[in-house]
Amino acid sequence: MSDLSLTKPNNPATQRGFTIFLAMLWRDKLAFISALVLVLVVLCALVGPALLGDLATNQNLRGRNSPPFDMTRGWAFFLGGDSLGRPMLARLIVAARSTMMVAAGAVATALIVGATLGLVAGYMGKNISQAIMRLADVIMSFPSLLLAVVVLYVLGPSIPNMILVLAITRIPIYLRTTRAEVLEVRERMFVQAAVVMGASHGRIIVRHVLPVVAPTLVTIATLDFAFVMLAESSLSFLGIGIQPPDITWGLMVSQGRPYLTTAWWLALWPGVCIVITTLALNLLSNWMRIALDPAQRWRLEARSTTDV
Amino acid sequence: MTIKHILIGALLASTSMGPALAQDNTDITVVLSEELDLVEPCMATRSNIGRVIMQNISETLTELDVRGNKGLMPRLADSWEDKGDGTWQFKLHPGVTFSDGSALDANDVKHSFDRVFSDQLTCESARYFADTELTFTVVDDTTIDVKAEPAQPILPLLMSLVTIVPSETPMEFVRDPIGTGPYVMSEWTAGQQIVLERRDDYWGDQPAVAKATYLFRSEPAVRAGMVAAGEADIAPQITEDVADNRDTDFSYPNSETVYIRIDQTVEPMGDLRVRQALNAAIEREAFIGTVLADGTELATAIVPPTTLGWNADLVPPAYDPDHARELLAAAEADGVNIKAPVEVIARTENFPHVTEVGEALVQMLNEVGFNASLRMVEVAEHEQYYSKPYPDGRPAQVVVAQHDNSRGDPVFSAYFKYHSNGTQSGVNDPKVDTLIEQATATTGDERAALWSELFAYVQNDIVADALLFHMVGHSRVGARLDFTPTIATNQQLQLSEINFK
Amino acid sequence: MIKLIGQRAIASLLSLLGLMVLVFFLSRLTGDPAVLFLPIDATEAMKANFRALHGLDAPLFEQFGRYVWDLLQFDFGQSLRKARPAIDVVMEAYAWTLPLALITLSLVVVAAIVLGSLAAFKIGGFFDRMVSIISLIGASAPDFWVAIVAIVVFSINLGWLPTSGVGTPLHWVLPIAVLFIRPFGLIVQVVRGSMLSALSAAYVKTARAKGVKNLPIIFVHTLRNAMLPVITVIGDQAAAMLNGAVIVETIFGFPGIGKLMIDSILQRDFNVVLAAIMVTAVAIFIMNMLIDIAYGLLDPRIRH
Repeated sequence: MSDLSLTKPNNPATQRGFTIFLAMLWRDKLAFISALVLVLVVLCALVGPALLGDLATNQNLRGRNSPPFDMTRGWAFFLGGDSLGRPMLARLIVAARSTMMVAAGAVATALIVGATLGLVAGYMGKNISQAIMRLADVIMSFPSLLLAVVVLYVLGPSIPNMILVLAITRIPIYLRTTRAEVLEVRERMFVQAAVVMGASHGRIIVRHVLPVVAPTLVTIATLDFAFVMLAESSLSFLGIGIQPPDITWGLMVSQGRPYLTTAWWLALWPGVCIVITTLALNLLSNWMRIALDPAQRWRLEARSTTDV
Repeated sequence: MTIKHILIGALLASTSMGPALAQDNTDITVVLSEELDLVEPCMATRSNIGRVIMQNISETLTELDVRGNKGLMPRLADSWEDKGDGTWQFKLHPGVTFSDGSALDANDVKHSFDRVFSDQLTCESARYFADTELTFTVVDDTTIDVKAEPAQPILPLLMSLVTIVPSETPMEFVRDPIGTGPYVMSEWTAGQQIVLERRDDYWGDQPAVAKATYLFRSEPAVRAGMVAAGEADIAPQITEDVADNRDTDFSYPNSETVYIRIDQTVEPMGDLRVRQALNAAIEREAFIGTVLADGTELATAIVPPTTLGWNADLVPPAYDPDHARELLAAAEADGVNIKAPVEVIARTENFPHVTEVGEALVQMLNEVGFNASLRMVEVAEHEQYYSKPYPDGRPAQVVVAQHDNSRGDPVFSAYFKYHSNGTQSGVNDPKVDTLIEQATATTGDERAALWSELFAYVQNDIVADALLFHMVGHSRVGARLDFTPTIATNQQLQLSEINFK
Repeated sequence: MIKLIGQRAIASLLSLLGLMVLVFFLSRLTGDPAVLFLPIDATEAMKANFRALHGLDAPLFEQFGRYVWDLLQFDFGQSLRKARPAIDVVMEAYAWTLPLALITLSLVVVAAIVLGSLAAFKIGGFFDRMVSIISLIGASAPDFWVAIVAIVVFSINLGWLPTSGVGTPLHWVLPIAVLFIRPFGLIVQVVRGSMLSALSAAYVKTARAKGVKNLPIIFVHTLRNAMLPVITVIGDQAAAMLNGAVIVETIFGFPGIGKLMIDSILQRDFNVVLAAIMVTAVAIFIMNMLIDIAYGLLDPRIRH
C-alpha cells in the first residue's frame, strides 16, 4: 500500500487524495479485503496463462479426480485434480483470464450500450424513445439460447462471439433502468433549473443525470458479473458455449456437474471463485458508492475518528 | 466434507427406503432420460419411443433374442419360409387381437408396411429397406407373402423392426397407439407421464406387471435418486458416476460402439501410415476405469461382439507412441504434410464424459506429432460433419461418434460406415464395396465369413478408422423387482421380462 | 391514458412483427430439422419427404408468406417433432410456467423489499452485512449445483420432499426455493442501494434531524421514491422467468416453457420456437407496459 501511494511523489495533491482514498478503504475491512481479492484475480488473469499454461493442461488419466488438501503432489494439486488429472489450482488461475474477458467484456458492453440508449430514450423526443424502448422489448423477448445457436452457426464459436451473445441479452436491463431514472431526474428541481439557466444537454447529462443513475447501474453490473459467468456455464453445458480447450470458471462448473456426487471439488472450486469474485465486486462497489457520495462519506470518515 | 456425509446418508437411505411400497403391489414406475415426442408405432425403432412401446404396446412379426442365444424367434409370425426368388412366406399366429378388439390378419401386416413406406408420414423404420422394393400378397387371413427386390436374405430379421398396426390406422402419426401387445396406453400427459396398463385379452402369457408409469427426468443423479427414494422402480440409462450402490445398480454392455471416423480425402489422412500412427497414438486402455466405466471393452469392429460375423481373431491396435512417430516421420519423408491441422470433432452429451475423452485423445495425438485440436459441437452441427455431403474447404476432420447396433447383423452398420456411397463413410475402396454387397446378398455361414473378412480388411489392411470402445450402460433397479437389464435395454424395455421378488 | 395504451399497443404490434421476422429467418440459418428428426442413416428420399411434408422445401420467402398467412388465421403451424399444433404444445407448458413464475416472483418481491430496506436503514450494520453476503452468495451460486444438492439433502437423505415432478403442492417447494435465490439476491441489492440514495435525500435528512417521531412514515415515503429502479429490475427478472427456468425445469422434471424452448431450439422445431417466443413476447410487452404505467403512478411528475 505504501508503495502504491509513493508512486507519484511529485504531485502532492493527488498523493493526498489517494492516501485519503486508501485510508477510507482501510476503514471498511470488508471492502479492503474485496479490493485485495480483485487485484489478485486481475493478476491471475494477466500472468496466469503465461506462467501456468502448460501445468494446467498436462493430463494424467490414471491420476484423475485426486482429492484436495493433499500436498504430496505439489502445491498445484492443493485443491485436487480434475477429471483428466490436471491440477485444479493451476486451472483456476489460468481460467481467470478468459472468465474475466467474457464477464467484463459482456457486462461492460451491455452497460455502455444500454446506458447510452437509455439516456437517449429518456432524454429525446417521444418517437425516438418509443422506437428504442420497443427494440428493447424485442431483445428482451429473444431467448439468449436461440441467439447463441444462431451466432454459433453463422459466426462460429469463440470468446468474442460469446461476449457478443451475452452482451446483447443484457442490454435491456441497463437500458430500461437508465431510462426510468432519467425520466425521474429530468423532472427534479435542480435539473429544471439548469435547463432554465441554459446548460447544454451534454452538461446536464454528465453533471446531473449520470451521478444519480450510476449507482444503480453499478449495483446491477456487479451482480451481472456472476450472472454472465453462470449463463456462460449453462451454454457450455448445452454445447453452444465456450468449449475445451478454452477454459473458464463457468465451463469448469459445468464440466464438474456429472461428478457432483463423486468428486465435489470439480464443480465447487470454480463455483467458489465465481461467488468470491462477485462478492468482492459488490462489496467494493457498495463501499465506493458511499465513498464517492459527499452526502454519505461521513459514514467512512466518522468511523475513522473513533477507530484511530 | 458435508457432501460426503450427505452421500453416505443417501446410500443408507437407498437401502432402507426400498421396501416402502407394498409387496403385492404390481404397479411399477420407470424413469427415463428423455420425454417422448411421439408414441407412433412406426417410430418404435427410435430408442426413446421403443423403450415404452416396442413389444409392450406394439409387436413385430419376429423378434431377435439379444438376451440369450436363441437368435431370431417367432412373435406375431409363428413361422416363415423362403419360397425362393426373393419371396418369403410368413404364417401369422392365429387368434391374436388388437387392443381395440379387432383380430390380427394379413391385411393388417400389409397396411403396417404401407404406412412405413407412405409419403404421407415420415416413419423411420423405412430406412432399413432403403434400396429394397417390397411387394405384399395376402394369401389368406393368416398367411402373407413378401417379395423383396432385390432378394433380401435377412428379411425375417428385418421383420423384427416393423411394428404391426390395425388396417384402420390412418396415414398420419397417431397419438393413441393400437397394438397387439400385452399393454395398452391408458394415459399420456405430455411433459409429465405415460401410463401403460395390462390387457386382459392378450394372446400370450400374462405378464406380472399390471401397470407401468413412465416418468422423464434428464438428470442422471435425479433418476438414480428417485429409485433410491422409492419414487421409481427402474432407472435405465443412469451414469457410472451415480451408480454407487452395488445392490441395485447393474452394468452391462449396451451395444454402443465409440470410434473415430476418418475422412480420408483431406491431407494428411489419405496416407495409410498417418492413419496407422493415429491408431498407435491412442492409449485405449488408459480410458477404461478412468473416464469410461469399468467393463468397457476395446473395439475391433464397428459392431458389438454379439453380432453375426464378428471376427474374434482381430486384436485392438497396440499403443506404441514411438512407432507412431516413426510412421509419421516416414510419411513426412514422402512429402505428406503431417503438420496439417486436424480437427477432432465430438458432440456434447453424446455419451458420459465425452468431453474428457476428446481432450485426452487430442493430447495423445499431439504427443506423437499431430497438429490436432478439439472441437466440441452440439447435435445438429455434429451431424453436418458426420454425414455426407462433407463441407467444402474443410481441414482434416476426424469425428468421434457413437454407433449403436443391437440388431444382430452388420448390415445395419457396414454400408453406412464403410461403403463408398455410405452416408457416414470416409472410405472409398472397391474391395470394401464388393465385400459389403456380397455379404448383404448371401446368408448363413457364408454371410458371416464375408463380414469377418470385411472387418479384418478395414481394420488391418486399409485402417479405415480408429475403433475405440464397446461401451457399457448402467441401470438402477429397485429392490422389489426381479429384473436384470441387458444389452437390449438400450432399445427396448419389455415389461413382460420384469417380475417381482 | 386509453390513447396512450392504444399507441403503445400499435408500437408493440410492430415490435412483435419485427421479432417474428427476426426469429423466422435467423432460426432457419441454424440447420435442417430433417436430419435431426430422422435417424442418421435415413435415406435422402426420406429426408426429402420430411421437408416436403412440412413445407421446408419451398423457397424461404414462400415459407414465410405461408407462415404469415396461417398466422393471420391464428394458426401457428404444426410442431415438427410432436405432430401437434405448436400453439397447443406451448400453451400446455405455459400453464406450468406461469404459476411457477408468479408464485416465485411474489415471494421474491416481498422478501427482497422488506429485507433490502431494513438493511438500508442501518448501512454497514451487522444486519446489512449479513443480508448482503447471504443474498450475494445465493445470487452467484450455480443453480444446478443448488438444485442437485437440495434434492440429495431434502428428498433422498431426509425424505421430506419429493425429488422431482409435479402433482402435489409439495412438489413445488424445491423448484420455487431454487428459483427464488438468484432474483432475490439481485433485487435485495437494488432495493438496498435505492433506499440508500433516497434516505440521503435532503428532506429525509431534515426530517430525521428534526427528530420526527414517525420514522416508519418517512420510511414508506422513501420506499416509494426508491421504487423506480426496483420495479425495472423486477421486470427484468420477471421476463427471465417468463422465458422459463431451463436448469430448474430440466432437473426437477417440471414441464415448463424453458425446457420446451431449449429442446425445440436444439431440435430445430421452428414452429414451436416461434410460437413460444411470440407468446412470451406478448407477456413481456404487457408487463413492460404495466411497469411504464407504474412509473407514472409512483412519480406523478413522470409523464409521457
